[in-house]
Amino acid sequence: MTTTGPYDTQDISDAPDASGDPYAESRPTTEGRVYTVSGGDWDAFAAEAAEMAEGSLVVNMGPQHPSTHGVLRLILQLEGETVTDTRCGIGYLHTGIEKNLEFRTWTQGVTFVTRMDYLSPFFNETAYCLGVERLLGITDEVPERARLIRILMMELNRISSHLVCIATGGMEIGALTVMTIGFRERELVLDLFELITGLRLNHAYIRPGGVANDLPTDGIEKIRDFHTLMSKRVFDYIRLCNENPIFKGRLVDVGYLDLAGCMALGITGPVLRSTGLPWDLRKTEPYLGYDEFEFDVPTWDTCDAYGRFRIRLDEMVESLRIIQQVVDRLEEAGPGPVMVDDPKIAWPAQLSIGNDGQGNSRAHINKIMNESMEALIHHFKLVTEGFSVPAGQVYSAVESPRGELGVVMASDGGTRPYRVHYRDPSFTNLQAVGAMCAGAQVADVIAAVASLDPVMGGVDR
Amino acid sequence: MTEPGEVARWADLDTIRAASADAAVEAEVTESFGDVTVSVPAEQWVATLTMLRDALDLSYFDWLSAVDDGETFSIFCHLYAPERRGHVLVRTVVPADGPALATATGVFRGAAWHERETHEMFGIDFPGHPHLVPLLLSDEFVGHPLRKDFVLTARVSKSWPGAKEPGESGDGSPSRRKMQPPGVPDPEWGPHSVGDDHE
Repeated sequence: MTTTGPYDTQDISDAPDASGDPYAESRPTTEGRVYTVSGGDWDAFAAEAAEMAEGSLVVNMGPQHPSTHGVLRLILQLEGETVTDTRCGIGYLHTGIEKNLEFRTWTQGVTFVTRMDYLSPFFNETAYCLGVERLLGITDEVPERARLIRILMMELNRISSHLVCIATGGMEIGALTVMTIGFRERELVLDLFELITGLRLNHAYIRPGGVANDLPTDGIEKIRDFHTLMSKRVFDYIRLCNENPIFKGRLVDVGYLDLAGCMALGITGPVLRSTGLPWDLRKTEPYLGYDEFEFDVPTWDTCDAYGRFRIRLDEMVESLRIIQQVVDRLEEAGPGPVMVDDPKIAWPAQLSIGNDGQGNSRAHINKIMNESMEALIHHFKLVTEGFSVPAGQVYSAVESPRGELGVVMASDGGTRPYRVHYRDPSFTNLQAVGAMCAGAQVADVIAAVASLDPVMGGVDR
Repeated sequence: MTEPGEVARWADLDTIRAASADAAVEAEVTESFGDVTVSVPAEQWVATLTMLRDALDLSYFDWLSAVDDGETFSIFCHLYAPERRGHVLVRTVVPADGPALATATGVFRGAAWHERETHEMFGIDFPGHPHLVPLLLSDEFVGHPLRKDFVLTARVSKSWPGAKEPGESGDGSPSRRKMQPPGVPDPEWGPHSVGDDHE
């Protein structure tokens, strides 16, 4: 190979660009000169940017930035390192779930809503099913065992969701150990979900009228094992993080939002409780009989990211307390039905473990295929057409790990919802980014957004 | 701890009626499925929200959305009273033809995104909104997806191969009604409609 090939003579500085900068292609626009930075020497670029007359720089962070929790696009206006204005670009994960729900039966809807906020699927399902049950007027007929299992799954889910928040939030500020141990413990919860529902992420387990199937025979034992292990390990986080000077240095006084700001913007969840207001729907508007269980609502009064982190840690401890009580009561009560005793609502499925892992029991298949034509017709109508829900409109809300997760649903008396709207806490809370980040440093934006814990699947729906 | 009964006592329909009368708001206060609903004329929307916030401590903005009722749109707003532990649903109706409602952002700042979402999903205008541009949908998107007349394009799928119903292959009994899942549009709908020749 010769040393004077055509590639050597084409020096990089010969790039056909008026600015002469090989890394920053630029073009004049009505807003001024726009640079597309492809790489290069940061000092040179920063010096050039500093010379620009406006003195402010608009930086697009995301939608593919690893620290924006999914496809969130933050549009930051910077003066030097100081953020003067923050706007959110959302909608990259909009999947039209609310529209799709209008074309499926009430029971099929569960399969859709579980995919909204994918870190807390059981909360989406429960809020939806509580609404359907209120419209049907069967709230009090849902079996005790189904109610307890719902609470159990939600509290396990709260732990797994908070673990992801703490893990990813820790990773974004450089605390890698928090990330690895957080995902280690979350894996244990997902294993429990897989054992109980058959699925790890989107379960469609909680159905109008109850839950899809009962706990497996070793379910209680596995949950107790997890409870014992997690009760020890939750203190790992407390020892590792609570007084960690780097952790505190990055989180204390970052993402400040006081009570008045929360009230005006409709903020709920750990962000609201970090202002000292013990607002938790499990206590303030109890549903599913949460008032029968002993637990506290942790609050903090610093209004900052550190307070929200501490609240999440404390809430995991409280969830473990609830799980302990629920498991005790499940064992005490013994076996029982997990679906409402109404053949017009409950699917006739009598599940048994078959070759495919799950399926209708042979006895049921034998009945509908060989013995009773009426049973077959009934099965077919209920599964394909669904059940009718009386006309009306209800709003039902549960306290998800991120705040108030509410569903407003309207029925016109048909077998499909007329309109379902989700009030997702991530969506509402994300409005606070601007207020939280004004005047902060760029690095604080990441810590502030992490303290909101937005899940884009819930934001965009 | 608050008992559920206490909440119901607070959300006293007469209290809301009295406060509405004081503020000269023609509110119709009803209760269904345990939720208190305050229905008001569209022109009194902002006055109602202000009255509920200031006179009845319903200072916590929760959410705002709409329902397409065909001839009209119903717009809902949900408010909480954080100290007295109550909540009401405020409802108003605007005509489907040129729907518009004064913005609530002056009363509750948090309504901004909810109104933007309602605007793009239903095509309802919110005069006075500081930044009424699409939020979730892309800039190029045409139409208002949550209106009932908007076809869910996921339902416009290629039909399964083969004849599944009698008469589909053309030689069966043609009188039988073709089964269509809900939401599937008429075959004449869309760019690849039956009858268009794209070959």
